[in-house]
Amino acid sequence: MDFNEVDEEEFGFSRNYFLAKELGSSGKKSAHKLSDINVVDEQELRAAAANIEPKHQKDITALIKSYKCLYPKWIFELRCGFGLLMYGFGSKKALLEDFASTALTEYSVVVINGYLQSVNIKQVVIGLAEILWEQLKSKRRNSSGNLPKVQQPFSSLSMDDLLAFLDGSVMECDSFICIVIHNIDGPGLRDSETQQYLAQLASCSNVRVVASIDHVNAALLWDKKMVHAQFNWYWYHVPTFAPYKVEGLFFPMILAHGSSNQSAKTAAIVLQSLTPNAQSVFRILAEYQLSHPDDEGMAIDNLYSVSRERFLVSSQVTLNAHLTEFKDHELVKTRRNSDGQDCLYIPLATEALEKLLTEIG
Amino acid sequence: MAPSVNDASPPSTINDAVTENNLQPFFVLQKGSVRKTERKLSGTGKTRRRIDLSPELPKNSENLEDEMEEEKMSMRMEAFEFVWSKIESTIKDVLREINTSVFSEIQSWVHQSFDMIRSLGTPDFPQATRSFPIITDANSKKLFTGLVLTKNMEFVDDLLTFEELGKHLKAQGCHVANLSSLDFTAKNGIGGCLRSLLRQFLMSTLDAADISILASWYGEQNYNNPVVVIVDDIERCCGSVLSDFILMLSEWVVKIPVILIMGVATTLDAPRNILPSNALQRLCPFDFTLGIPAERMDAVVEAVLVKPCSGFSIGHKVAVFMRNYFVSQDGTLTSFIRALKIACTQHFYMEPLSFILRDLVLEEDNWEFEIEQYGLSPEVTLKHAFNLPSYQRVKMTKVTSESLAHALSELKRLQNQWRAVVLCLYETGKGEKVRLLDLFCEANDLESYNRREFDACTKLEKDSVSSPSSRQGPGLIKGGVICEAVRLVRDLSTRQLGKLLKIWENLTVGIMEINGKVKELQSLLKAEDGKSSKKDLIVTPKRHASRIQLNIEDSKSLGDKAAKLLECMVRDYMQPIECIPFHEIFCFKNVDKLRSALIGDPRRRIQVDLLEFQKLLHCNCCIRGSNALLPSMHDTSIMYNLAQEHGDLINLHDWYQSFKSVVLCPSSSKMKSRPSPLPKKRKDINESENRSEASIQARFCRAVTELQITGLLRMPTKRRPDFAQRVAFGL
Repeated sequence: MDFNEVDEEEFGFSRNYFLAKELGSSGKKSAHKLSDINVVDEQELRAAAANIEPKHQKDITALIKSYKCLYPKWIFELRCGFGLLMYGFGSKKALLEDFASTALTEYSVVVINGYLQSVNIKQVVIGLAEILWEQLKSKRRNSSGNLPKVQQPFSSLSMDDLLAFLDGSVMECDSFICIVIHNIDGPGLRDSETQQYLAQLASCSNVRVVASIDHVNAALLWDKKMVHAQFNWYWYHVPTFAPYKVEGLFFPMILAHGSSNQSAKTAAIVLQSLTPNAQSVFRILAEYQLSHPDDEGMAIDNLYSVSRERFLVSSQVTLNAHLTEFKDHELVKTRRNSDGQDCLYIPLATEALEKLLTEIG
Repeated sequence: MAPSVNDASPPSTINDAVTENNLQPFFVLQKGSVRKTERKLSGTGKTRRRIDLSPELPKNSENLEDEMEEEKMSMRMEAFEFVWSKIESTIKDVLREINTSVFSEIQSWVHQSFDMIRSLGTPDFPQATRSFPIITDANSKKLFTGLVLTKNMEFVDDLLTFEELGKHLKAQGCHVANLSSLDFTAKNGIGGCLRSLLRQFLMSTLDAADISILASWYGEQNYNNPVVVIVDDIERCCGSVLSDFILMLSEWVVKIPVILIMGVATTLDAPRNILPSNALQRLCPFDFTLGIPAERMDAVVEAVLVKPCSGFSIGHKVAVFMRNYFVSQDGTLTSFIRALKIACTQHFYMEPLSFILRDLVLEEDNWEFEIEQYGLSPEVTLKHAFNLPSYQRVKMTKVTSESLAHALSELKRLQNQWRAVVLCLYETGKGEKVRLLDLFCEANDLESYNRREFDACTKLEKDSVSSPSSRQGPGLIKGGVICEAVRLVRDLSTRQLGKLLKIWENLTVGIMEINGKVKELQSLLKAEDGKSSKKDLIVTPKRHASRIQLNIEDSKSLGDKAAKLLECMVRDYMQPIECIPFHEIFCFKNVDKLRSALIGDPRRRIQVDLLEFQKLLHCNCCIRGSNALLPSMHDTSIMYNLAQEHGDLINLHDWYQSFKSVVLCPSSSKMKSRPSPLPKKRKDINESENRSEASIQARFCRAVTELQITGLLRMPTKRRPDFAQRVAFGL
């Protein structure tokens, strides 16, 4: 029976795992360092990355084209109430948007870029509600239907009300808004709250979802209620082998170390979550570092007196609280200068620091 | 291809990827304003099914054809909606039916509890208008709580149950709110569930969630009806929030007579495990039990697949797959129904004649088949119908509309017989845990049917020389459900047999032959009964013993007769749908399609994509089947293949070097990344080497990023800066 097969599979899986572990530990671990690679200059690397000659372009185009014959089927399934979930290696962004813009012309289509670092799901839902509202209005102009009462503007409604509006308002059957979600498993959508909202959204009567996943463990994002009762996925294996151009934009290049963009970006995110006073203290430190590029850093006493002058801290204790916060997020480090004094410095390159200052300013 | 509708050029460099739309969290791609008639102009990529396209058609009729195609599609869509809504409503009815008794039990308990609360007194006007609770004695803090044991770890199956329970109680005049575990999260705290309550009772959202608002609302309702709060799965709720909620409700119980109903998936201990003692003390629990999932499954299978419902059916392989998926993988009825819906969708999409089912639903009894009524050309339709493999096997009559209609009504008749036998078997085995789903799979098995036929023939040849030791029926699978049912019949007592025959008689009403035989058996039984009762009159101790002896023997032979009859029924009347001509119109058989749509397997498939990409891309440059890594292969594929040789940790330096050596492999003298094939000056060589080095490094970086996106690789940590970590081991 199937049970044996499953057992076998699981056994094989664990055996592979331990074999790999053993291979890793018993055999001499290679002592080569990443730094042994003669890495080219970062700018050159980025330039090269932007101009990688594509391989198999023709085959890839043919492969993507071959999915075109599935479009009518996809529409059929969407109309039957399923959500489409596309997986397989390669960027599916172009494929999904092509499907939406050539085959779903009758319907409104909203695209969510889940590969971005953060997506505000509420904004999306407000946008959807506005589109639906417009459609209902134009429908009413044509025929005399009753519009549901919406007193407030959508932006001031709660999430529940918005979802209820999307679910409840009756449109003529077979009329829906399609949401294309690139990388529903992406970093911007990965948290469980967002996934719950997406699931609720997908179960609305006026909404259909077409989504793509790339991560092998994406299915772990959902429980059975979400899969069976809300998303109602219809799986499609559509590998494209197209490069992940936009999707990979936000990943650091493994050979480009100290990538100024990336660390400045994370630093900015951390700083934005801190109080204005803390930000200002950081700014003092940063400005000092920029104006004294050769110094080891700014002495703590010095920082304290400047911060106190500007009424940013009232005591050493408050300053220390800020500093602990900075150190926890690795925004600030200490080292000793030639006089044996503890100095604070920000472990970022000058240009990255400048960029950061403009970003939080 | 392009992010906007107007821009038709495909993106070629990375800079194209950085368009405004791609960096927006979301954007509106298009607004659905184009009407159906206009759409046809832009309609592309239509597939055409075999029968619809006659090659002789001139090209200018393509538009017309598209239109026809679309019309047929919408006809099938309509038929699907019809059939599925029929199936869906049947399922709902069945599930509701199963819960009826529990629901009414709960309802009467709710009203009793309400009366009990009311007996504590109704708040007078000044009390009612104050915004704090009334507490008279300890009793007034008791919260009546119904614990509904779902007998099912999969709460998803019970979502509908609790929804239905809510509706049921609402219809009885209760105020009902359905909460789920999502309302009891630590993040939202007690405010979350209160807000949800207010939303459902007051139909409005208030920023300030306060229970006194609920109290004043209830005051306006004249204190006449109980307030029921249903929480569908307490195991998934945040314990502290739930206990706060219970404490709060119990304080207010005089002003708002709340009766709590909670779904419990595990055991009655669950509340004790989740709630602290002070909250537990406030509860006054009663428990109710729902039916087990297997029972529900049987009821659904019976109503949808065995009894006449929509005419839509599934083949043996599909049934077996769905059963195995239910039994050993998912375990939820919800997923079974979903699988059925996927099957149904695919059937209607693929089978051009499936629209016939719609009329089958509409006019079940006096159903007649007329092609013309669908506005289709009879030739095309008939051609398709008579090309179906099931017809090709038998090749019986002329290709006419009448013969098709006749064949279809024959199919219906055979299905009725099949149904009767299956139900007889099911009724026989019901007490002994014979599951209808198993029975359905076995009864639809073409192979064992053929074997039964074959056995019957050989048996005839041998002319009943069969050894008496083989009590097993002809061609019945040993240990199978049918065999089990036949065995059960033999061991029945006379009374039980009488009951069973009565059921059989009812089930086989439409089928004269079987019905007659059953009646014959019944009269035999009656005669037997009469004999024994007569003997009862002249009972003497000595004869008494012999009578028992006789009785056993008689009933044994009767049981044998009944078993024989059952075997005959199975052999002669239980014809699986898949061996009837034209069954393709009604029956979905493509198990692979169903499997791939129902269970995506990203973990394995993405790895296979990378390891065997040649099979998908069909390129000429990368030789199929050879294990050697070629420079022409997809970069990420090369990298992933190389990664297989490492342990759980991959040394980045080594990985890079091996990648480089693959990419620079001598056979690739015409390497694409090298701009000039024959550099003449030394300086040029250096430069181009440098450039190719940069390019290789960039490709390495990109491949690593792509592997990271697929989750197959974890980045180096601070502790191990030179090693990346593999995530998946084996497919």
